[in-house]
Amino acid sequence: MSLVPAPVTAIHLDHISKSFTLDGGGTIAALGEVTLKIDKGEFVALLGPSGCGKSTILRLVAALEEPSTGAVTIEGRAPVELSRQHRLGVAFQDHALLPWLTIAQNVALPYQLAGKPVDKARVSALIALVGLAGFEAARPKQLSGGMRQRASIARALVLKPDVLLLDEPFGALDAVTRRQMNVELQRIWSEQRITTLLVTHAVDEALFLADRVVVMTGRPGKILKTVEVPFARPRHPDVTREPRFHELVDELTLALEPAGGHG
Amino acid sequence: MKHRQRIRTITLGAIGIALFLALWELIGIRGWAGLTWPPLSTVLAFLFDPSRRPLFLRAMTASFSMIAFGYAIGLVLGLAAAALGHLVPPLRPGLDRLASIIHAIPTIALAPLFIVLLSRELTGMAIAALGVFFVIYVSATSGLAASSAAHRDLFQVFGTSRLTQLRRLDMPAALPALVSGMKYAVPAAFIGAILGEWFGSSRGLGLLMVSAMQNFQIPLLWSAVLIASTASLLIFGLMSLAERLAYERYR
Ligand SMILES: Nc1ncnc2c1ncn2[C@@H]1O[C@H](COP(=O)(O)OP(=O)(O)OP(=O)(O)O)[C@@H](O)[C@H]1O
Ligand SMILES: [Mg+2]
Repeated sequence: MSLVPAPVTAIHLDHISKSFTLDGGGTIAALGEVTLKIDKGEFVALLGPSGCGKSTILRLVAALEEPSTGAVTIEGRAPVELSRQHRLGVAFQDHALLPWLTIAQNVALPYQLAGKPVDKARVSALIALVGLAGFEAARPKQLSGGMRQRASIARALVLKPDVLLLDEPFGALDAVTRRQMNVELQRIWSEQRITTLLVTHAVDEALFLADRVVVMTGRPGKILKTVEVPFARPRHPDVTREPRFHELVDELTLALEPAGGHG
Repeated sequence: MKHRQRIRTITLGAIGIALFLALWELIGIRGWAGLTWPPLSTVLAFLFDPSRRPLFLRAMTASFSMIAFGYAIGLVLGLAAAALGHLVPPLRPGLDRLASIIHAIPTIALAPLFIVLLSRELTGMAIAALGVFFVIYVSATSGLAASSAAHRDLFQVFGTSRLTQLRRLDMPAALPALVSGMKYAVPAAFIGAILGEWFGSSRGLGLLMVSAMQNFQIPLLWSAVLIASTASLLIFGLMSLAERLAYERYR
């Protein structure tokens, strides 16, 4: 139990940058040079101003984009291998539920995409976990934005992925529900310790959930600051009331302010 | 709110149809359009006269089976071509060109060829199939490209095979456009089949029309036209309903 194994690098962003070619022919530097190592079983949160390239980093790790320079590896191999083995779980900024499927069918979809038998018990357990019990037969259109996001998180978790990528998964939730979802996600995560990369705008969410918080500069995004989160797991919601928590919130908020990069 | 709007649309539609039929009757009774425009009541009396039932039933069976087979063949071929172009992208430009060539040739010009190649009886079916094929190919092709980028990303991240994606994403996302295409293919099948029957088929509503015209049997001519138009409109209306359901669920 108390034995701490040597950390193994799971996700490695090795001097990556990304620029996009615009329709007009010009190029836009979305991401400056970024190097980041995420250990197996580590939870890293990405904070940064809008448009700094957070979603781009997630898309690079998900093999949806190729870096312009540098390389992304997961366990030493190309990310596309992981997705081919159905070992990635994602919840995008846009929930991306299929409108013609019910919530239960949407959550069960990854099994079908992987060609595996659907574990109905796990599907309903996850739906209950994200607070959607009773909405199994509803269609995405009939749910609120926040409920759809929660369904998409259940879908991301259903295959017990080795790497979890979450892009502002709670962005559409009110403060109370968001807090509840953070507590639930923290609990699920503590049981499985999935290597996780979370993009968020909420500093307290990042601190409550992550082992490490990475703050990025404005576009083209670079890493400005990394903060190790000192709170032991499993975390009780009460940690958010500790003075140390507030100090860290202040520190990160300051770093996020436009002038923070020079202070 | 929405419900009331629907009721109003239906009421207005019914009033429109009633006005149209009343005008038809009036023009016929007054003889404003001459002898060749009989009142609606005369046509209906002619049409529903029990002694003519076998005649009309035979013609309807012949025409409708040609229309149905032509529609089915065009549908299957159109779907197959669209799926092929979707799964093997290099074939896409060739298939597009083939479809537009088929569409650009006036089908009447092909009728003599079909008569020689197939038979007089099957010419209508072949023309119907060609018309349906084009509409279905175009709508299915655009439908298969209708899935959203976010959904395609999702399927890619979950490591979906090409065929699974076709089944679970591309095809459901294509359904609204496809059902619209299937709706517009209905009149195309009717036109094709009846046109084919004009070219000397020995059965069907088309033959009835031609022979009634040549023998100046005005009520018979109008009856045949009425049957064909009503059937086409009815199926078109049903397809509109299916279309609305498809858009509600799949969009
Ligand atoms: N496909 C693309 N083509 C062109 N430019 C792009 C593309 N994708 C992203 N960008 C640009 O790259 C930059 C970073 O985008 P990204 O979506 O990663 O930002 P973000 O940090 O996630 O922002 P937000 O917090 O608002 O979601 C933006 O300026 C955006 O305009
Ligand atoms: Mg983003």
